[in-house]
Amino acid sequence: MKIKMTNRSKTFWAIIIPVLVLFFTFNTLPMIKGIIYSFTNYRGYGSYDYVGFRNYIDLFTDARVGKSYLFTFKYALVGTVLVNVFSLIMAMGLNSRIRFKSALRGIYFVPNILGGLVIGYIFSFFFTYILPAVGNIFGIGFLQNSILASEKYAWIGVLVVGVWQAVAMNTIIYISGLQTVPRDVYEACMLDGASKWQEFWKVTLPLVMPFVTINLVLSTKNFLMVFDQIMSLTKGGPAQSTESISYLIYRNGMDGGQFGFQSANAVIFFFVIVAISVFQMTVMNKKEEQL
Amino acid sequence: MWERKIAGRLLLILGIVTATAGLAGCGKDTSDGRIEVELVSYKPEAVEAFEEIAERFNETHDDIHLTIDSPNEAMTILKTRFIREDYPDIVGIGGDINYSNFLDADLFMDISDLAEVEMVKQSYLDINKELEFIPREGIYALPYAANAAGILYNKAMFEEHGWEIPETWSEFIALCEEIEASGIQPLYLGYKDTWTCLAPWNALAVGLSDSDTCNQVNLGNTTFADSYRETAEKTRALLAYAEANPYAYGYNDACTAFARGQSAMYPIGSYAIPQIKSVNPDMDIDSFAFPANENKEDNILNSGIDLQFCVMKNCENKEAVYEVLRFLYEDETIQVYLDNQGGIACKNGDFAIPAELEGMREYIENDRMADYQDHHYPSEMSVDAMIQTFLLDGSEDCVDTFLERFDADWKRYNRDLIRKVQQYQQDREDAQ
Amino acid sequence: MTKKDRKTNWVLTIILVLGTVTVFFPLYMAIIIAFKQPSEMTNDVAGALSLPARWSLDNFRQAMEVTNFWHSLGNSLLITLATIVLAILIHSIAGYVIGRGMAEKKSFRFIYLYIVSGMFVPFSILMMPLVKQTAQMGLGNRVGVILLYLVFYMPMNVLLYSGYLKNIPIALEEAAGIDGATTWKTYWKIIFPMMTPMHATVAILTALGTWNDVMTPLVIMSGTGQNTLPLAQLNFQTQFGTNYNLAFASYILALIPILLFYIVCQKQILNGVASGAVKG
Repeated sequence: MKIKMTNRSKTFWAIIIPVLVLFFTFNTLPMIKGIIYSFTNYRGYGSYDYVGFRNYIDLFTDARVGKSYLFTFKYALVGTVLVNVFSLIMAMGLNSRIRFKSALRGIYFVPNILGGLVIGYIFSFFFTYILPAVGNIFGIGFLQNSILASEKYAWIGVLVVGVWQAVAMNTIIYISGLQTVPRDVYEACMLDGASKWQEFWKVTLPLVMPFVTINLVLSTKNFLMVFDQIMSLTKGGPAQSTESISYLIYRNGMDGGQFGFQSANAVIFFFVIVAISVFQMTVMNKKEEQL
Repeated sequence: MWERKIAGRLLLILGIVTATAGLAGCGKDTSDGRIEVELVSYKPEAVEAFEEIAERFNETHDDIHLTIDSPNEAMTILKTRFIREDYPDIVGIGGDINYSNFLDADLFMDISDLAEVEMVKQSYLDINKELEFIPREGIYALPYAANAAGILYNKAMFEEHGWEIPETWSEFIALCEEIEASGIQPLYLGYKDTWTCLAPWNALAVGLSDSDTCNQVNLGNTTFADSYRETAEKTRALLAYAEANPYAYGYNDACTAFARGQSAMYPIGSYAIPQIKSVNPDMDIDSFAFPANENKEDNILNSGIDLQFCVMKNCENKEAVYEVLRFLYEDETIQVYLDNQGGIACKNGDFAIPAELEGMREYIENDRMADYQDHHYPSEMSVDAMIQTFLLDGSEDCVDTFLERFDADWKRYNRDLIRKVQQYQQDREDAQ
Repeated sequence: MTKKDRKTNWVLTIILVLGTVTVFFPLYMAIIIAFKQPSEMTNDVAGALSLPARWSLDNFRQAMEVTNFWHSLGNSLLITLATIVLAILIHSIAGYVIGRGMAEKKSFRFIYLYIVSGMFVPFSILMMPLVKQTAQMGLGNRVGVILLYLVFYMPMNVLLYSGYLKNIPIALEEAAGIDGATTWKTYWKIIFPMMTPMHATVAILTALGTWNDVMTPLVIMSGTGQNTLPLAQLNFQTQFGTNYNLAFASYILALIPILLFYIVCQKQILNGVASGAVKG
């Protein structure tokens, strides 16, 4: 048995080492270079000087960066909760005994593949013209003006689109999770006379817990890195109220000449997300064990 | 065992894919012995004009082969090519902060020994001089075509009501009142896309502040609080005559609205004309320079270089590249470009002015033009968004808040540049 | 099974069908815009929702011409398919090795965290160094883009595979081991087929990410004369003017292949369940 295990671990290492080399070359190595740039005033081309920790010190005094962190966290928190609730419900619906199952699954998948230009145009039109018209007819005050033009509510507009798109992906993962639950478990449940509600909390949820973990981590990460929806809907406006961290890093780092500074922002942001995700995974793993 | 079948199929696809991908990769070949000159332009919308120009050039030259590439997202592509150190011979870019930055990074060649430089309108040479962070000897770009910004107006509507073109700020305001009184909306702004906030801002600023304001601030000679107050106040004054809640509508909405006669005027640049005409091809549009001052003589037309050619410093075949530039600067070639793209020629001479810019003719012919101020703003400072924030701010002291922020942010975003400029100034004073 | 259990749940079906309005409404707008002429674009609700004056495939034909459709489609397909196939083969075994290794050794736990944390690196910070690096390695082409995708999606896919693995009892492998099969063989014969639902998920998610991606091909393979569909679609928009009608026609064309792919993949999951490959 012992010899077997060493053989097994030999195979393991033979597989994992090339994978690690590949990963290191195209992920870690460029990241290290990026970290080096974060100590410079590099614009993305031309010459540059090392500026020590100046970029990092600036980060903590930059009001715009601070605001972008607040916006991003607010957005990610609400978004993650909504997406996971909706997509778990959707997945259970799409996984139960319904008609037109494949067609419905296909339809609900569409939001995720529409390109940014289409999303931007249609939802801008929706928020700018259609929703205010609805608001006028029913006399709903806060809808009468385009919510994308309001400093207070624009983030909700972005959130609606973000959730609308993300539900598709998370639903897929939940569906594949639900399919690991053997049918006979439900049958046993039925025979016990458990209600649907009890069945969900006692049977379904514990069994798909690993997928809840994955989805929570993935959707938190996706919402924290929100970029596409901002690009196509608000471009950070109105009055810079919807500038997300990724948007700032891209816009000012790539388009603008702040590559060095935004690299520093990216480095900090990286550690922040890793910390959040590790925390999530630890908590969820404990939950998984409990159940 | 259907799984195995799938695995087999996957492997087959993989094999095909890697085999075909292996064939990729190409190189420039100039097997016929002609010198290859590569020009990359940042204007994808002009691709047809460039194709025709390249074709004409290649027909008349058997020792040089010209390739003009006009890709989308050209600035990203150019920047990534610079990172790869894969330089084209000539780049066609706008006269904006990118030009300043590339020049500052020492990427371009001095072309002052090219005879064509003498034929450029003085305004545009001056504009380019002002785009240099640190004054340099020599000329680094050949200005080709320019655009102009001010007010576009619906000519049919103006004629119908007998409205007159205003020449001073109070005449402009009076006109807006008059238009409004007749039940028509005077202006459409479309401030959802933040960059559109800069259109009236620039057009007003050229008349109300010095063209080298930014440089003077860098040298510590003035502040934006002093230079931009009037521009800020007048930009704000426009809101009263525009659509309610302009932050809900984007550039595209504004173009459509103006094209459909929902407003009489639209404060934007000549670059918007194709988009407006796509919605209403028969529309009769004319324009005038923004009457920013009470004194007609103080008004200046806002015009910037839309396209200019720069030679990369490490280009090897200077003679061939110069031949290309000479060809590009022939009157006929310029006309091919203008016929396709509209706009104003940067070369002195008798070029047709597009009908939509007829109202700006006086300024163009008398060379009374100044560059967009935002060509000096670093894009990461997002002045457009700052202006939008300012316009949304309903408080009493919003102008002060905005100008204070402008000065503070300017220092923050231009720190290295200010140091460099002041160092240069210091050195020069020491030398004297 | 009781009879009641086998019956179609009509209430749920109706709710889900009604819910598709949230998808069909935007899709409806996209489709009518794709058929309209630029002069039909308006700013009022009724006008925007009205049907085009004339149903003609002209926009689609033009869009195909502008994007050099078949060529761009070929490149998009090539890149996406190659990425998916390699992802399923490489990421699944990496996920397996890491997932099982974690239970036995601390070092694999570390590898897991190392790879998964790669998911959180903002692309912007990697972009410039990658542009330089791929150019130096001669990978400024489609192969380079595929390799980069393999690395970009590795963290998520490893996370998915090793998560899925928790539902596959280790006893199966141990039994095979006692029968004398090597780890390598056991994996391909027993574990790989059992992960079919996850392969489908990974395939879809990876395809989604690569199919619409603009940035990576733009910065890595610009200047090679090769275009992907999203790159070609940039033709429709400049800062000062966007031809929404052609653009929408082109987006709808680009949507069809991936939608078909998704529906096919979904069937595969169902087949997997039906044939009892999963936890029979």
